[in-house]
Amino acid sequence: MVKPIIELKNITKRYDDGFTALENIDLVIEPGKFYSLLGPSGSGKTTILRIIAGFTDATEGEVIFEGKKINDLPANQRKVNTVFQNYALFPHMDVFDNVAFGLTLKKRPEKEIRERVLNALKVVQLPGYANREISELSGGQQQRVAIARAIVNEPKVLLLDEPLSALDMKLRKDMQYELRELQQRLKITFIFVTHDQEEALAMSDEIFVMNDGKALQSGTPVDIYDEPINHFVANFIGESNILPGKMIKDFEVEFVGKKFECADAGMRSGEKVEVVLRPEDLDITTPEQGKLVVTVDTQLFRGDHFEIVGYDEDGNEWLIHSTNPVKDGKKIGLTFEPEDIHVMRFGEKEEDFDARLEQYEED
Amino acid sequence: MFKKNANTAPEATFKETWQKGDWATKLSFIIMGISQLKNKQWLKGLIFLISEVAFLVWFFYSGISAISLLSSLGKIKKLTRVFDEKQGIWVTKQPDSSMVILLFGIVSIILIILLLILYYVSLKSTRHLYALNRDGKHIPSTKEDLATLLDSRLHQLLMFLPLAGIFAFTVTPTIYMITMAFTNFNQYHPIGFSWTGLQSFGQILTGDMAGTFFPVLGWTLIWAVAATATTFLFGVLLGLLIESKGIKFRGFFRTLFVVVFAVPQFVSLLMMSMFWDNAGPVNSWLQRMNWISQPIRFLQDPNLAKITVIVTNMWIGIPVTMLIATAIIQNLPQDQIEAAKMDGANPFQVFRSITFPQILFVMGPSLIQQFIGNINNFNVIFLLTGGGPLNSKFYQAGSTDLLVTWLYKLTMQSVPDYNIAAALGIIIFVISAIFSLLTYRRTNAFKEG
Repeated sequence: MVKPIIELKNITKRYDDGFTALENIDLVIEPGKFYSLLGPSGSGKTTILRIIAGFTDATEGEVIFEGKKINDLPANQRKVNTVFQNYALFPHMDVFDNVAFGLTLKKRPEKEIRERVLNALKVVQLPGYANREISELSGGQQQRVAIARAIVNEPKVLLLDEPLSALDMKLRKDMQYELRELQQRLKITFIFVTHDQEEALAMSDEIFVMNDGKALQSGTPVDIYDEPINHFVANFIGESNILPGKMIKDFEVEFVGKKFECADAGMRSGEKVEVVLRPEDLDITTPEQGKLVVTVDTQLFRGDHFEIVGYDEDGNEWLIHSTNPVKDGKKIGLTFEPEDIHVMRFGEKEEDFDARLEQYEED
Repeated sequence: MFKKNANTAPEATFKETWQKGDWATKLSFIIMGISQLKNKQWLKGLIFLISEVAFLVWFFYSGISAISLLSSLGKIKKLTRVFDEKQGIWVTKQPDSSMVILLFGIVSIILIILLLILYYVSLKSTRHLYALNRDGKHIPSTKEDLATLLDSRLHQLLMFLPLAGIFAFTVTPTIYMITMAFTNFNQYHPIGFSWTGLQSFGQILTGDMAGTFFPVLGWTLIWAVAATATTFLFGVLLGLLIESKGIKFRGFFRTLFVVVFAVPQFVSLLMMSMFWDNAGPVNSWLQRMNWISQPIRFLQDPNLAKITVIVTNMWIGIPVTMLIATAIIQNLPQDQIEAAKMDGANPFQVFRSITFPQILFVMGPSLIQQFIGNINNFNVIFLLTGGGPLNSKFYQAGSTDLLVTWLYKLTMQSVPDYNIAAALGIIIFVISAIFSLLTYRRTNAFKEG
């Protein structure tokens, strides 16, 4: 295993009024990877970022940077840099001075400053903008300047606090590609905070899903999408049909009153569970051939697919993504493979979940 | 306003009105109001007519003489004895009062200008009537005129009083004072004085007053810079201090400083003047502690007095800046400060590169106002030191006198030099205007505004 660059050990943040923002957070960040902290507003992801940056002190726990504890190291001495949500550019300086700020403070020779600043501007694709005023730039350009200002100091870790949330849809998509590319070129560790699951899935090597100050699950985007640990993660990442069910035995689960073959094991027989079926895994067929029969209620055209909502005879709602339209009010059959079913236990810890998955996947 | 008039062509030219108008229209060119009276606009016509008659009567009875006297400001300049041939005795004649002659002359000129404006207005009205008659349109009656005056032209009615007030109480006195700068109205010519052109300016800039003017101007500028800079700098620092983390009872501290600002300024200044006195509490306490044997001459020593007024002014001026700075500091985006720290800035560098420039950006225009205000800061100097200690090299000025307090002494003391004072007033105005213009245009707030 690669030596981690940042480790958070058992971090807890409690405010004076008793509010707990973070609870027992353990994170291991390896160098050169793109990490995302994903969670809804108020889940504590920005607090983690501020603790790593040194703007907030953890109530308990250790922040370790390259093997050394840095809890008491002031922000200006940590080898991390941040891109802020509102860019935090200095409005009284032009682009060059903004980017050069850190280097000027370090009293680098003028020639070196000039070279590095112009280079950083080239990296963020803003060559020739050095003498512009900040107020003359568009939101996307300000964003790039903020990134240039952060990378010009050659930090080992770059923290990005929802940097794309103020941009429009198209620009956000473009910036996702650029950020990813930038990270791979610079080989700096990125820790990216976002509430946008698409953003996190698209860019990250690894995602930490957070809610209510707790880290719920970590893993590669594919892992988290395919095997969410609980109801919250399944619901928050992508769209899903979540149904109550019962484990009959290994590789067989019962829900909506029927038994289905599945790919999950390692649970007690008869245990109450939740079953996740992704809408794009459901295929439409005739009612006779379907494993399930639903009546189509509404249908929305989303451009690349149709989003169909239907109800089965028990009244459960089903969300289906299909490339072909169906008629409203028509009965349709749904089929899916055993691997498309994902079974989640109630209250399972991440370690247990990982251990269980490992156990039967080896078999 | 003027553009609008220029764009819409008049209904008729004055030439056409004169050539094609009836007898009343033609007569209106000489006697105002005839045309209006003929068209049954009684009130308007009467106002025009009475104005002209009243003006002419006044003009021939006193206006002509008032204006003709204006060029000489009176024949007899000094107390003179003349031989009265009728009575066959010598009589003493008082000099002509130039002040009154000057005032009447200026008022006469203003009245003539006002009448010329009125004449133009009446001509336009005549032309309008001519055009209405020519086109066979309805001519508004007095009643209708009054109605529009209360409705669509209400702003004209409402502006009349303020405008009259400005003319009577601002424009006239200002012109009167400005003209004094071009006379020799001083202690040697207290009643009868004459025009001397730019002599008083010459006296101030190169003549016998230059030895006082330039040192006083120098001190005025030093004072204005020092007073503005110290209150600004320490006010901002105090604001930062109170706003910084870990300070408790912020409201209490802020109030404590604002109390100074809440007490009427002249009270605190007079109190401070006593406080620094040779026999004041500071000196007597220091003497009682046996730290000094002689009282420190805070307000009597020329150099020490300058420092004392600047320090005392800080005490009065800092709370104001502190309040403004606090408001700005509270509104500074926190993430900019964090971004600067992230780039390796220590607290001092954050202040120098981020906080201070942005405070300066917002406060720039108000700083200029403070600077101009300090150039003319009469209160602090007059109440603290009275301009003293007296400087024997100066003409009627002390070591801490500013241009304005010197100006005050030139007019209010036993030997007045009104002409110098008036010229000095103009010079102060010019200096303030130049500084304001130069600096306002350089502030970023102005550029972006």
